Amino acid sequence: MSAVAVVARQPSRGALARAVCVREWREALGNRILVGMTLLPPIVILAAGIAAVAAAAANPPNERDVQALYAAAPAVEGLDPKEAVQGFIATYFLILFMLIPTVVPLTMAIYSVIGEKSARTLEPLLAAPVGVGELLFAKSLASTIPSVIVTWIAYAVYLASVTSLGSRAAVLAVTAPRWVLAIVVMVPLLTLLSVNLGILISTRVNDVRVAQQIGGLVVVPVVGLGIAQVTGRVVINNEAFIQFTALLVAADAAVFLLAKLAFQRENILVRWR
Amino acid sequence: MQIVLRTEGLTKRFGRLTAVDRLDLEVREGEVFGFLGPNGAGKTTTLRLLCALIAPTSGGAEVAGWRLGRDDARIRASVGILTEQPGLYERLSAWENLLFCAALYGLDPATARSQAERFLRLMGLWDRRREAVATFSRGMKQKMAIARAALHEPRILFLDEPTTGLDPDAAKTVRELIVALRGEGRTVFLCTHNLDEADRLCDRIAFFRRHVIRIDSPDELRAELYGRATEFRLLPAPRAEDLARVRAVDGVREARLENGSIIVEAQDPLRTNPLLVRTLIDGGAEIAYVTERKPHLEDVYLRIVEAAE
Repeated sequence: MSAVAVVARQPSRGALARAVCVREWREALGNRILVGMTLLPPIVILAAGIAAVAAAAANPPNERDVQALYAAAPAVEGLDPKEAVQGFIATYFLILFMLIPTVVPLTMAIYSVIGEKSARTLEPLLAAPVGVGELLFAKSLASTIPSVIVTWIAYAVYLASVTSLGSRAAVLAVTAPRWVLAIVVMVPLLTLLSVNLGILISTRVNDVRVAQQIGGLVVVPVVGLGIAQVTGRVVINNEAFIQFTALLVAADAAVFLLAKLAFQRENILVRWR
Repeated sequence: MQIVLRTEGLTKRFGRLTAVDRLDLEVREGEVFGFLGPNGAGKTTTLRLLCALIAPTSGGAEVAGWRLGRDDARIRASVGILTEQPGLYERLSAWENLLFCAALYGLDPATARSQAERFLRLMGLWDRRREAVATFSRGMKQKMAIARAALHEPRILFLDEPTTGLDPDAAKTVRELIVALRGEGRTVFLCTHNLDEADRLCDRIAFFRRHVIRIDSPDELRAELYGRATEFRLLPAPRAEDLARVRAVDGVREARLENGSIIVEAQDPLRTNPLLVRTLIDGGAEIAYVTERKPHLEDVYLRIVEAAE
Protein backbone atom coordinates (compact mmCIF):
# COMPACT_ATOMS: atom_id res chain seq x y z
CA MET A 1 0.00 0.00 0.00
CA SER A 2 1.48 3.33 -0.96
CA ALA A 3 0.71 6.64 0.67
CA VAL A 4 -0.95 9.23 -1.53
CA ALA A 5 -0.49 12.96 -1.01
CA VAL A 6 -3.97 13.77 0.23
CA VAL A 7 -4.79 16.98 2.05
CA ALA A 8 -8.03 16.93 3.99
CA ARG A 9 -9.56 20.26 4.89
CA GLN A 10 -12.85 21.92 5.75
CA PRO A 11 -14.98 21.85 2.58
CA SER A 12 -16.38 25.09 1.20
CA ARG A 13 -19.99 25.87 2.06
CA GLY A 14 -21.04 25.35 -1.56
CA ALA A 15 -19.25 22.01 -1.89
CA LEU A 16 -20.75 20.79 1.38
CA ALA A 17 -24.26 21.89 0.38
CA ARG A 18 -23.92 20.20 -3.00
CA ALA A 19 -22.62 16.95 -1.48
CA VAL A 20 -25.34 16.84 1.22
CA CYS A 21 -28.11 17.66 -1.27
CA VAL A 22 -26.99 15.02 -3.79
CA ARG A 23 -26.61 12.42 -1.05
CA GLU A 24 -30.01 13.16 0.52
CA TRP A 25 -31.80 13.22 -2.84
CA ARG A 26 -30.25 9.92 -3.92
CA GLU A 27 -31.30 8.34 -0.63
CA ALA A 28 -34.78 9.89 -0.84
CA LEU A 29 -35.31 8.62 -4.38
CA GLY A 30 -34.49 5.12 -3.16
CA ASN A 31 -37.17 5.36 -0.47
CA ARG A 32 -40.52 4.65 -2.14
CA ILE A 33 -42.53 5.50 0.97
CA LEU A 34 -40.84 8.87 1.24
CA VAL A 35 -41.30 9.62 -2.47
CA GLY A 36 -44.96 8.58 -2.22
CA MET A 37 -45.60 10.64 0.90
CA THR A 38 -43.87 13.62 -0.71
CA LEU A 39 -45.68 13.55 -4.03
CA LEU A 40 -49.14 12.44 -2.93
CA PRO A 41 -50.36 15.74 -1.37
CA PRO A 42 -49.44 17.95 -4.37
CA ILE A 43 -50.92 15.42 -6.82
CA VAL A 44 -54.18 15.20 -4.86
CA ILE A 45 -54.46 18.97 -4.43
CA LEU A 46 -53.65 19.56 -8.10
CA ALA A 47 -56.09 16.93 -9.38
CA ALA A 48 -58.87 18.14 -7.08
CA GLY A 49 -58.27 21.79 -8.04
CA ILE A 50 -58.35 21.11 -11.78
CA ALA A 51 -61.45 18.92 -11.44
CA ALA A 52 -63.26 21.55 -9.35
CA VAL A 53 -62.52 24.39 -11.78
CA ALA A 54 -63.56 22.16 -14.70
CA ALA A 55 -66.80 21.28 -12.93
CA ALA A 56 -67.52 24.93 -12.17
CA ALA A 57 -66.87 25.87 -15.80
CA ALA A 58 -69.14 23.12 -17.12
CA ASN A 59 -72.03 23.57 -14.70
CA PRO A 60 -73.54 27.03 -14.17
CA PRO A 61 -74.36 27.61 -10.48
CA ASN A 62 -78.00 27.83 -9.39
CA GLU A 63 -79.35 30.85 -7.51
CA ARG A 64 -79.12 29.13 -4.13
CA ASP A 65 -75.38 28.35 -4.69
CA VAL A 66 -74.69 31.94 -5.73
CA GLN A 67 -76.41 33.35 -2.62
CA ALA A 68 -74.47 30.93 -0.43
CA LEU A 69 -71.25 32.03 -2.14
CA TYR A 70 -72.02 35.73 -1.64
CA ALA A 71 -72.74 35.03 2.02
CA ALA A 72 -69.52 33.05 2.50
CA ALA A 73 -67.32 35.34 0.44
CA PRO A 74 -68.52 38.95 0.47
CA ALA A 75 -65.47 39.93 -1.61
CA VAL A 76 -66.91 38.34 -4.76
CA GLU A 77 -70.33 39.99 -4.49
CA GLY A 78 -71.24 41.89 -7.62
CA LEU A 79 -69.33 39.64 -10.02
CA ASP A 80 -71.02 37.52 -12.68
CA PRO A 81 -72.22 34.46 -10.73
CA LYS A 82 -70.49 31.90 -12.98
CA GLU A 83 -67.23 33.86 -12.98
CA ALA A 84 -67.47 34.39 -9.25
CA VAL A 85 -67.84 30.68 -8.62
CA GLN A 86 -64.91 29.79 -10.89
CA GLY A 87 -62.69 32.49 -9.37
CA PHE A 88 -63.69 31.46 -5.86
CA ILE A 89 -62.89 27.81 -6.51
CA ALA A 90 -59.60 28.60 -8.28
CA THR A 91 -58.53 30.80 -5.36
CA TYR A 92 -59.67 28.27 -2.78
CA PHE A 93 -57.40 25.65 -4.31
CA LEU A 94 -54.50 28.14 -4.46
CA ILE A 95 -54.73 28.28 -0.68
CA LEU A 96 -54.35 24.53 -0.63
CA PHE A 97 -51.24 25.04 -2.78
CA MET A 98 -49.76 26.98 0.12
CA LEU A 99 -50.06 23.78 2.15
CA ILE A 100 -47.62 21.97 -0.17
CA PRO A 101 -44.52 23.80 1.16
CA THR A 102 -45.60 23.04 4.73
CA VAL A 103 -46.37 19.34 4.22
CA VAL A 104 -43.86 18.11 1.60
CA PRO A 105 -40.53 19.29 3.10
CA LEU A 106 -41.60 18.37 6.61
CA THR A 107 -41.51 14.68 5.71
CA MET A 108 -38.11 15.01 4.05
CA ALA A 109 -36.63 17.07 6.90
CA ILE A 110 -37.87 14.61 9.49
CA TYR A 111 -36.43 11.67 7.55
CA SER A 112 -33.20 13.60 7.03
CA VAL A 113 -32.53 13.78 10.79
CA ILE A 114 -34.43 10.83 12.27
CA GLY A 115 -33.18 8.63 9.42
CA GLU A 116 -29.58 9.56 10.26
CA LYS A 117 -30.23 9.00 13.95
CA SER A 118 -31.62 5.51 13.45
CA ALA A 119 -28.97 4.53 10.87
CA ARG A 120 -26.20 5.80 13.21
CA THR A 121 -24.70 7.88 10.41
CA LEU A 122 -24.57 11.12 12.38
CA GLU A 123 -21.36 10.38 14.30
CA PRO A 124 -19.19 9.74 11.22
CA LEU A 125 -20.79 12.80 9.63
CA LEU A 126 -19.99 14.99 12.64
CA ALA A 127 -16.43 13.62 12.81
CA ALA A 128 -15.71 15.40 9.51
CA PRO A 129 -14.27 18.93 9.54
CA VAL A 130 -17.62 20.58 8.81
CA GLY A 131 -19.34 23.28 10.82
CA VAL A 132 -22.68 22.23 12.27
CA GLY A 133 -24.28 25.47 11.08
CA GLU A 134 -23.14 24.77 7.51
CA LEU A 135 -24.30 21.17 7.82
CA LEU A 136 -27.71 22.24 9.10
CA PHE A 137 -28.02 24.80 6.31
CA ALA A 138 -27.09 22.13 3.72
CA LYS A 139 -29.69 19.78 5.17
CA SER A 140 -32.30 22.57 5.11
CA LEU A 141 -31.53 23.22 1.46
CA ALA A 142 -31.76 19.52 0.62
CA SER A 143 -35.36 19.44 1.88
CA THR A 144 -36.33 22.95 0.73
CA ILE A 145 -35.27 22.83 -2.93
CA PRO A 146 -37.36 19.81 -4.02
CA SER A 147 -40.39 21.10 -2.16
CA VAL A 148 -40.22 24.54 -3.77
CA ILE A 149 -39.72 22.98 -7.19
CA VAL A 150 -42.67 20.60 -6.66
CA THR A 151 -44.89 23.52 -5.59
CA TRP A 152 -43.84 25.67 -8.55
CA ILE A 153 -44.39 22.78 -10.99
CA ALA A 154 -47.83 22.12 -9.44
CA TYR A 155 -48.68 25.84 -9.80
CA ALA A 156 -47.53 25.84 -13.44
CA VAL A 157 -49.61 22.74 -14.23
CA TYR A 158 -52.62 24.27 -12.44
CA LEU A 159 -52.25 27.51 -14.40
CA ALA A 160 -51.89 25.64 -17.70
CA SER A 161 -54.93 23.50 -16.86
CA VAL A 162 -57.28 26.35 -15.91
CA THR A 163 -56.13 28.24 -19.01
CA SER A 164 -56.86 25.26 -21.26
CA LEU A 165 -60.29 24.86 -19.59
CA GLY A 166 -61.11 28.33 -20.86
CA SER A 167 -62.10 29.76 -17.49
CA ARG A 168 -61.12 33.44 -17.70
CA ALA A 169 -62.07 34.16 -14.09
CA ALA A 170 -60.03 31.22 -12.86
CA VAL A 171 -57.01 32.35 -14.90
CA LEU A 172 -57.33 35.86 -13.48
CA ALA A 173 -57.54 34.48 -9.96
CA VAL A 174 -54.53 32.20 -10.39
CA THR A 175 -52.38 34.92 -12.03
CA ALA A 176 -53.37 37.71 -9.61
CA PRO A 177 -50.11 39.49 -8.64
CA ARG A 178 -50.75 38.75 -4.95
CA TRP A 179 -50.89 35.00 -5.61
CA VAL A 180 -47.93 35.00 -8.01
CA LEU A 181 -45.88 36.76 -5.33
CA ALA A 182 -47.18 34.31 -2.74
CA ILE A 183 -45.98 31.42 -4.87
CA VAL A 184 -42.61 33.01 -5.69
CA VAL A 185 -41.77 34.56 -2.31
CA MET A 186 -43.85 32.94 0.38
CA VAL A 187 -43.50 29.35 -0.78
CA PRO A 188 -39.69 29.28 -0.19
CA LEU A 189 -40.13 31.09 3.15
CA LEU A 190 -42.88 28.73 4.32
CA THR A 191 -40.82 25.77 3.14
CA LEU A 192 -37.77 26.87 5.14
CA LEU A 193 -39.97 27.38 8.21
CA SER A 194 -41.44 23.93 7.87
CA VAL A 195 -38.02 22.32 7.26
CA ASN A 196 -36.38 23.88 10.30
CA LEU A 197 -39.40 23.08 12.47
CA GLY A 198 -39.11 19.51 11.21
CA ILE A 199 -35.42 19.44 12.17
CA LEU A 200 -36.22 20.93 15.58
CA ILE A 201 -38.92 18.33 16.22
CA SER A 202 -36.62 15.55 15.03
CA THR A 203 -34.01 16.45 17.63
CA ARG A 204 -36.47 15.46 20.36
CA VAL A 205 -38.36 12.55 18.75
CA ASN A 206 -37.16 9.22 17.39
CA ASP A 207 -40.30 8.11 15.56
CA VAL A 208 -41.06 9.54 12.11
CA ARG A 209 -44.84 9.19 12.64
CA VAL A 210 -44.80 11.07 15.96
CA ALA A 211 -42.65 13.81 14.42
CA GLN A 212 -45.07 14.12 11.51
CA GLN A 213 -48.06 14.37 13.83
CA ILE A 214 -46.41 17.20 15.74
CA GLY A 215 -45.20 18.83 12.55
CA GLY A 216 -48.69 18.63 11.05
CA LEU A 217 -49.68 21.53 13.29
CA VAL A 218 -47.63 23.80 11.02
CA VAL A 219 -50.48 23.81 8.49
CA VAL A 220 -53.09 25.18 10.91
CA PRO A 221 -52.16 28.90 10.74
CA VAL A 222 -51.72 28.69 6.96
CA VAL A 223 -55.15 27.14 6.47
CA GLY A 224 -56.77 29.62 8.87
CA LEU A 225 -55.24 32.64 7.16
CA GLY A 226 -56.11 31.29 3.73
CA ILE A 227 -59.77 30.65 4.57
CA ALA A 228 -60.09 34.08 6.18
CA GLN A 229 -58.63 35.66 3.06
CA VAL A 230 -60.86 33.76 0.60
CA THR A 231 -64.00 34.49 2.53
CA GLY A 232 -63.09 38.16 2.69
CA ARG A 233 -62.84 38.28 6.49
CA VAL A 234 -59.17 39.19 6.14
CA VAL A 235 -57.99 41.08 3.10
CA ILE A 236 -54.33 40.58 2.36
CA ASN A 237 -53.49 43.76 0.52
CA ASN A 238 -49.95 44.71 -0.53
CA GLU A 239 -49.10 46.20 2.85
CA ALA A 240 -50.35 43.14 4.71
CA PHE A 241 -48.48 40.95 2.26
CA ILE A 242 -45.18 42.72 3.02
CA GLN A 243 -45.86 42.50 6.76
CA PHE A 244 -46.64 38.82 6.49
CA THR A 245 -43.46 38.24 4.42
CA ALA A 246 -41.36 40.09 7.02
CA LEU A 247 -42.96 38.01 9.75
CA LEU A 248 -42.09 34.82 7.86
CA VAL A 249 -38.46 35.96 7.37
CA ALA A 250 -38.18 36.64 11.11
CA ALA A 251 -39.79 33.31 11.96
CA ASP A 252 -37.43 31.54 9.55
CA ALA A 253 -34.38 33.15 11.16
CA ALA A 254 -35.62 32.42 14.69
CA VAL A 255 -36.44 28.77 13.98
CA PHE A 256 -33.12 28.28 12.15
CA LEU A 257 -31.25 29.66 15.15
CA LEU A 258 -33.20 27.40 17.50
CA ALA A 259 -32.47 24.41 15.25
CA LYS A 260 -28.79 25.40 15.18
CA LEU A 261 -28.74 25.52 18.98
CA ALA A 262 -30.24 22.04 19.18
CA PHE A 263 -28.00 20.72 16.40
CA GLN A 264 -24.68 20.80 18.28
CA ARG A 265 -22.13 17.99 18.11
CA GLU A 266 -22.13 17.19 21.80
CA ASN A 267 -25.94 17.41 22.07
CA ILE A 268 -26.37 15.07 19.15
CA LEU A 269 -23.85 12.48 20.32
CA VAL A 270 -24.57 12.51 24.03
CA ARG A 271 -28.13 13.70 24.59
CA TRP A 272 -30.05 12.65 21.48
CA ARG A 273 -31.71 9.27 21.91
CA MET B 1 9.93 8.93 18.02
CA GLN B 2 7.69 11.98 17.65
CA ILE B 3 4.67 12.31 19.92
CA VAL B 4 1.53 12.67 17.78
CA LEU B 5 -1.03 12.70 20.55
CA ARG B 6 -0.63 14.04 24.07
CA THR B 7 -3.27 14.57 26.77
CA GLU B 8 -2.79 16.45 30.00
CA GLY B 9 -5.30 15.83 32.76
CA LEU B 10 -8.07 15.35 30.19
CA THR B 11 -11.35 15.06 32.05
CA LYS B 12 -14.94 14.67 30.94
CA ARG B 13 -17.89 14.77 33.31
CA PHE B 14 -21.56 14.25 32.47
CA GLY B 15 -23.34 15.73 35.47
CA ARG B 16 -22.12 13.74 38.45
CA LEU B 17 -20.60 10.97 36.34
CA THR B 18 -16.91 11.27 35.58
CA ALA B 19 -16.40 9.36 32.33
CA VAL B 20 -12.73 10.27 31.84
CA ASP B 21 -10.67 11.31 34.83
CA ARG B 22 -7.40 13.25 34.44
CA LEU B 23 -6.15 11.24 31.49
CA ASP B 24 -2.43 11.62 30.79
CA LEU B 25 -1.34 9.89 27.65
CA GLU B 26 1.34 10.07 24.97
CA VAL B 27 1.06 8.24 21.68
CA ARG B 28 4.00 8.03 19.29
CA GLU B 29 3.89 8.64 15.57
CA GLY B 30 3.62 5.43 13.56
CA GLU B 31 2.69 3.08 16.39
CA VAL B 32 -0.36 0.92 16.87
CA PHE B 33 -1.56 1.95 20.31
CA GLY B 34 -3.99 -0.38 22.05
CA PHE B 35 -6.59 1.15 24.35
CA LEU B 36 -8.04 -1.59 26.52
CA GLY B 37 -10.60 -1.41 29.26
CA PRO B 38 -13.81 -3.00 30.51
CA ASN B 39 -17.24 -1.94 29.25
CA GLY B 40 -18.16 1.49 30.60
CA ALA B 41 -14.53 2.41 31.24
CA GLY B 42 -14.88 5.57 29.13
CA LYS B 43 -13.09 4.41 25.98
CA THR B 44 -15.70 5.75 23.55
CA THR B 45 -15.87 9.05 25.43
CA THR B 46 -12.08 9.31 25.20
CA LEU B 47 -12.22 8.68 21.46
CA ARG B 48 -14.89 11.35 21.03
CA LEU B 49 -12.79 13.80 23.04
CA LEU B 50 -9.67 13.12 21.01
CA CYS B 51 -11.59 13.47 17.72
CA ALA B 52 -12.97 16.86 18.86
CA LEU B 53 -16.52 15.56 18.83
CA ILE B 54 -17.19 16.56 22.42
CA ALA B 55 -15.49 19.15 24.60
CA PRO B 56 -13.49 18.27 27.72
CA THR B 57 -14.66 19.49 31.12
CA SER B 58 -11.06 20.24 32.05
CA GLY B 59 -7.54 19.41 30.94
CA GLY B 60 -6.29 19.53 27.39
CA ALA B 61 -4.85 17.61 24.51
CA GLU B 62 -2.73 18.07 21.43
CA VAL B 63 -3.79 15.87 18.55
CA ALA B 64 -1.74 15.64 15.35
CA GLY B 65 -0.08 18.92 16.27
CA TRP B 66 -3.34 20.78 16.86
CA ARG B 67 -4.74 22.01 20.14
CA LEU B 68 -8.07 20.58 21.28
CA GLY B 69 -10.68 23.30 21.75
CA ARG B 70 -8.81 25.77 19.56
CA ASP B 71 -8.16 23.87 16.32
CA ASP B 72 -11.06 21.41 16.36
CA ALA B 73 -11.79 21.51 12.62
CA ARG B 74 -8.08 20.89 11.89
CA ILE B 75 -8.05 17.99 14.34
CA ARG B 76 -11.08 16.48 12.62
CA ALA B 77 -9.35 16.87 9.24
CA SER B 78 -6.21 15.15 10.59
CA VAL B 79 -7.85 12.13 12.18
CA GLY B 80 -10.16 9.37 11.03
CA ILE B 81 -12.58 7.50 13.24
CA LEU B 82 -14.27 4.14 12.98
CA THR B 83 -17.24 4.21 15.32
CA GLU B 84 -18.84 1.21 17.02
CA GLN B 85 -21.53 1.09 14.32
CA PRO B 86 -20.50 1.24 10.63
CA GLY B 87 -22.96 4.14 10.10
CA LEU B 88 -23.15 3.91 6.32
CA TYR B 89 -25.86 5.22 4.01
CA GLU B 90 -27.56 1.95 3.17
CA ARG B 91 -29.41 3.07 0.05
CA LEU B 92 -26.26 4.47 -1.51
CA SER B 93 -23.68 2.34 -3.27
CA ALA B 94 -20.21 1.73 -1.83
CA TRP B 95 -18.81 4.16 -4.40
CA GLU B 96 -21.34 6.89 -3.53
CA ASN B 97 -20.72 6.47 0.20
CA LEU B 98 -16.99 7.03 -0.22
CA LEU B 99 -17.39 9.97 -2.60
CA PHE B 100 -19.75 11.65 -0.13
CA CYS B 101 -17.23 11.13 2.65
CA ALA B 102 -14.44 12.54 0.46
CA ALA B 103 -16.53 15.68 -0.10
CA LEU B 104 -16.93 16.12 3.67
CA TYR B 105 -13.13 16.18 3.98
CA GLY B 106 -12.72 18.70 1.18
CA LEU B 107 -11.00 16.30 -1.24
CA ASP B 108 -11.10 17.45 -4.86
CA PRO B 109 -13.11 15.18 -7.21
CA ALA B 110 -10.08 13.55 -8.89
CA THR B 111 -8.43 12.71 -5.54
CA ALA B 112 -11.76 11.54 -4.16
CA ARG B 113 -12.22 9.09 -7.04
CA SER B 114 -8.66 7.75 -6.89
CA GLN B 115 -8.84 7.31 -3.10
CA ALA B 116 -12.24 5.61 -3.31
CA GLU B 117 -10.89 3.21 -5.92
CA ARG B 118 -7.72 2.55 -3.90
CA PHE B 119 -9.59 1.66 -0.72
CA LEU B 120 -12.34 -0.33 -2.43
CA ARG B 121 -9.68 -2.45 -4.15
CA LEU B 122 -7.74 -2.77 -0.90
CA MET B 123 -10.85 -4.01 0.89
CA GLY B 124 -11.81 -6.38 -1.91
CA LEU B 125 -15.03 -4.47 -2.64
CA TRP B 126 -14.17 -2.97 -6.01
CA ASP B 127 -16.34 -5.42 -7.98
CA ARG B 128 -19.34 -4.52 -5.82
CA ARG B 129 -18.84 -0.78 -5.82
CA ARG B 130 -22.11 -0.06 -7.66
CA GLU B 131 -24.25 -2.10 -5.26
CA ALA B 132 -26.25 -0.56 -2.43
CA VAL B 133 -24.51 -0.99 0.92
CA ALA B 134 -27.78 -2.45 2.29
CA THR B 135 -26.98 -5.64 0.35
CA PHE B 136 -23.57 -6.03 2.03
CA SER B 137 -22.74 -8.46 4.84
CA ARG B 138 -21.73 -7.20 8.30
CA GLY B 139 -18.09 -7.81 7.45
CA MET B 140 -18.29 -5.91 4.16
CA LYS B 141 -19.96 -2.98 5.90
CA GLN B 142 -17.20 -2.91 8.50
CA LYS B 143 -14.56 -2.90 5.77
CA MET B 144 -16.44 -0.05 4.07
CA ALA B 145 -16.49 1.89 7.35
CA ILE B 146 -12.75 1.44 7.76
CA ALA B 147 -12.20 2.56 4.17
CA ARG B 148 -14.26 5.65 4.92
CA ALA B 149 -12.25 6.40 8.07
CA ALA B 150 -8.93 6.09 6.22
CA LEU B 151 -10.03 7.67 2.92
CA HIS B 152 -8.54 11.11 3.61
CA GLU B 153 -5.21 9.61 4.78
CA PRO B 154 -5.47 10.77 8.40
CA ARG B 155 -2.34 11.05 10.55
CA ILE B 156 -4.13 9.22 13.36
CA LEU B 157 -6.77 6.59 12.82
CA PHE B 158 -9.05 5.85 15.76
CA LEU B 159 -10.59 2.40 15.48
CA ASP B 160 -13.31 1.35 17.91
CA GLU B 161 -13.61 -2.47 17.91
CA PRO B 162 -12.69 -2.80 14.22
CA THR B 163 -13.01 -6.59 13.94
CA THR B 164 -16.11 -7.14 16.07
CA GLY B 165 -18.61 -9.28 14.19
CA LEU B 166 -16.25 -10.05 11.32
CA ASP B 167 -15.56 -13.53 10.00
CA PRO B 168 -11.92 -14.69 10.28
CA ASP B 169 -11.16 -13.79 6.67
CA ALA B 170 -12.52 -10.24 6.98
CA ALA B 171 -10.84 -9.79 10.37
CA LYS B 172 -7.54 -10.82 8.80
CA THR B 173 -8.01 -8.23 6.03
CA VAL B 174 -8.62 -5.54 8.66
CA ARG B 175 -5.56 -6.56 10.66
CA GLU B 176 -3.44 -6.52 7.51
CA LEU B 177 -4.72 -3.03 6.76
CA ILE B 178 -3.75 -1.87 10.25
CA VAL B 179 -0.26 -3.27 9.77
CA ALA B 180 -0.05 -1.61 6.34
CA LEU B 181 -1.11 1.73 7.82
CA ARG B 182 1.61 1.44 10.45
CA GLY B 183 4.03 0.65 7.61
CA GLU B 184 3.09 4.01 6.05
CA GLY B 185 3.97 5.75 9.29
CA ARG B 186 0.36 6.36 10.35
CA THR B 187 -0.65 6.09 13.95
CA VAL B 188 -3.46 3.71 14.83
CA PHE B 189 -5.32 4.16 18.12
CA LEU B 190 -7.06 0.84 18.61
CA CYS B 191 -9.89 0.35 21.10
CA THR B 192 -10.60 -3.33 21.44
CA HIS B 193 -11.83 -6.08 23.70
CA ASN B 194 -10.01 -8.61 21.56
CA LEU B 195 -6.87 -9.16 23.63
CA ASP B 196 -5.40 -11.60 21.15
CA GLU B 197 -5.73 -8.97 18.44
CA ALA B 198 -4.19 -6.30 20.68
CA ASP B 199 -1.33 -8.66 21.45
CA ARG B 200 -0.67 -9.28 17.77
CA LEU B 201 -1.03 -5.73 16.53
CA CYS B 202 -0.13 -3.25 19.23
CA ASP B 203 3.29 -1.80 19.88
CA ARG B 204 2.06 -0.49 23.21
CA ILE B 205 -1.06 -1.01 25.25
CA ALA B 206 -2.84 1.22 27.73
CA PHE B 207 -5.08 -0.42 30.30
CA PHE B 208 -7.77 2.11 30.98
CA ARG B 209 -10.53 2.64 33.48
CA ARG B 210 -11.50 6.32 33.50
CA HIS B 211 -7.77 6.99 33.59
CA VAL B 212 -4.73 5.05 32.39
CA ILE B 213 -3.72 2.28 34.78
CA ARG B 214 -0.66 1.07 32.86
CA ILE B 215 1.02 1.65 29.50
CA ASP B 216 3.70 -0.58 28.03
CA SER B 217 4.37 -3.06 25.29
CA PRO B 218 2.60 -6.41 25.72
CA ASP B 219 5.93 -8.24 26.11
CA GLU B 220 7.23 -5.82 28.73
CA LEU B 221 4.02 -6.18 30.72
CA ARG B 222 4.33 -9.97 30.58
CA ALA B 223 7.97 -9.87 31.57
CA GLU B 224 7.20 -7.64 34.51
CA LEU B 225 4.29 -9.68 35.79
CA TYR B 226 5.30 -13.19 34.83
CA GLY B 227 9.02 -13.01 33.98
CA ARG B 228 10.52 -14.25 30.72
CA ALA B 229 9.89 -17.98 30.64
CA THR B 230 11.09 -20.59 28.14
CA GLU B 231 9.74 -24.09 27.76
CA PHE B 232 12.14 -26.97 27.03
CA ARG B 233 10.22 -30.02 25.86
CA LEU B 234 12.31 -33.16 26.31
CA LEU B 235 11.89 -36.70 24.96
CA PRO B 236 11.56 -38.74 27.01
CA ALA B 237 10.20 -36.66 29.91
CA PRO B 238 12.81 -34.70 31.86
CA ARG B 239 14.54 -36.34 34.79
CA ALA B 240 15.41 -34.80 38.15
CA GLU B 241 19.08 -34.54 37.13
CA ASP B 242 18.07 -32.57 33.99
CA LEU B 243 16.29 -30.06 36.19
CA ALA B 244 19.28 -29.86 38.54
CA ARG B 245 21.64 -29.17 35.60
CA VAL B 246 19.35 -26.42 34.32
CA ARG B 247 19.17 -24.77 37.74
CA ALA B 248 22.95 -24.67 37.88
CA VAL B 249 23.25 -22.62 34.67
CA ASP B 250 24.31 -19.03 35.20
CA GLY B 251 21.44 -16.54 34.72
CA VAL B 252 18.58 -18.94 35.54
CA ARG B 253 16.22 -17.37 38.08
CA GLU B 254 13.81 -20.27 38.39
CA ALA B 255 13.27 -23.69 36.79
CA ARG B 256 10.44 -26.17 37.33
CA LEU B 257 8.88 -29.28 35.79
CA GLU B 258 5.50 -28.87 34.16
CA ASN B 259 3.65 -31.45 31.99
CA GLY B 260 6.76 -33.12 30.63
CA SER B 261 8.65 -29.87 30.09
CA ILE B 262 11.16 -27.80 31.99
CA ILE B 263 9.99 -24.21 32.41
CA VAL B 264 12.88 -21.82 32.86
CA GLU B 265 12.71 -18.16 33.86
CA ALA B 266 15.90 -16.32 33.10
CA GLN B 267 16.98 -12.72 33.36
CA ASP B 268 18.27 -12.69 29.79
CA PRO B 269 16.83 -15.60 27.79
CA LEU B 270 18.76 -14.64 24.65
CA ARG B 271 22.06 -15.27 26.47
CA THR B 272 20.95 -18.10 28.76
CA ASN B 273 18.92 -20.31 26.39
CA PRO B 274 21.88 -21.42 24.16
CA LEU B 275 23.75 -22.41 27.36
CA LEU B 276 20.75 -24.38 28.56
CA VAL B 277 20.40 -26.24 25.24
CA ARG B 278 24.09 -27.19 25.32
CA THR B 279 23.88 -28.26 28.98
CA LEU B 280 20.83 -30.48 28.38
CA ILE B 281 22.34 -32.14 25.29
CA ASP B 282 25.67 -32.69 27.08
CA GLY B 283 23.69 -34.34 29.90
CA GLY B 284 22.15 -36.80 27.43
CA ALA B 285 18.67 -35.23 27.10
CA GLU B 286 16.79 -35.25 23.77
CA ILE B 287 15.21 -31.83 23.10
CA ALA B 288 11.96 -31.98 21.11
CA TYR B 289 11.51 -28.21 20.96
CA VAL B 290 12.32 -24.94 22.72
CA THR B 291 9.66 -22.25 22.80
CA GLU B 292 9.10 -18.90 24.43
CA ARG B 293 6.34 -19.16 27.02
CA LYS B 294 3.96 -16.25 26.80
CA PRO B 295 1.17 -15.90 29.30
CA HIS B 296 -2.01 -14.87 27.51
CA LEU B 297 -2.56 -11.12 27.48
CA GLU B 298 -5.93 -11.79 29.10
CA ASP B 299 -4.12 -12.94 32.25
CA VAL B 300 -1.97 -9.81 32.20
CA TYR B 301 -5.07 -7.64 31.67
CA LEU B 302 -7.05 -9.26 34.47
CA ARG B 303 -4.15 -9.04 36.89
CA ILE B 304 -3.59 -5.34 36.17
CA VAL B 305 -7.28 -4.41 36.29
CA GLU B 306 -7.85 -6.40 39.49
CA ALA B 307 -4.80 -4.79 41.11
CA ALA B 308 -6.16 -1.36 40.20
CA GLU B 309 -9.50 -2.15 41.79
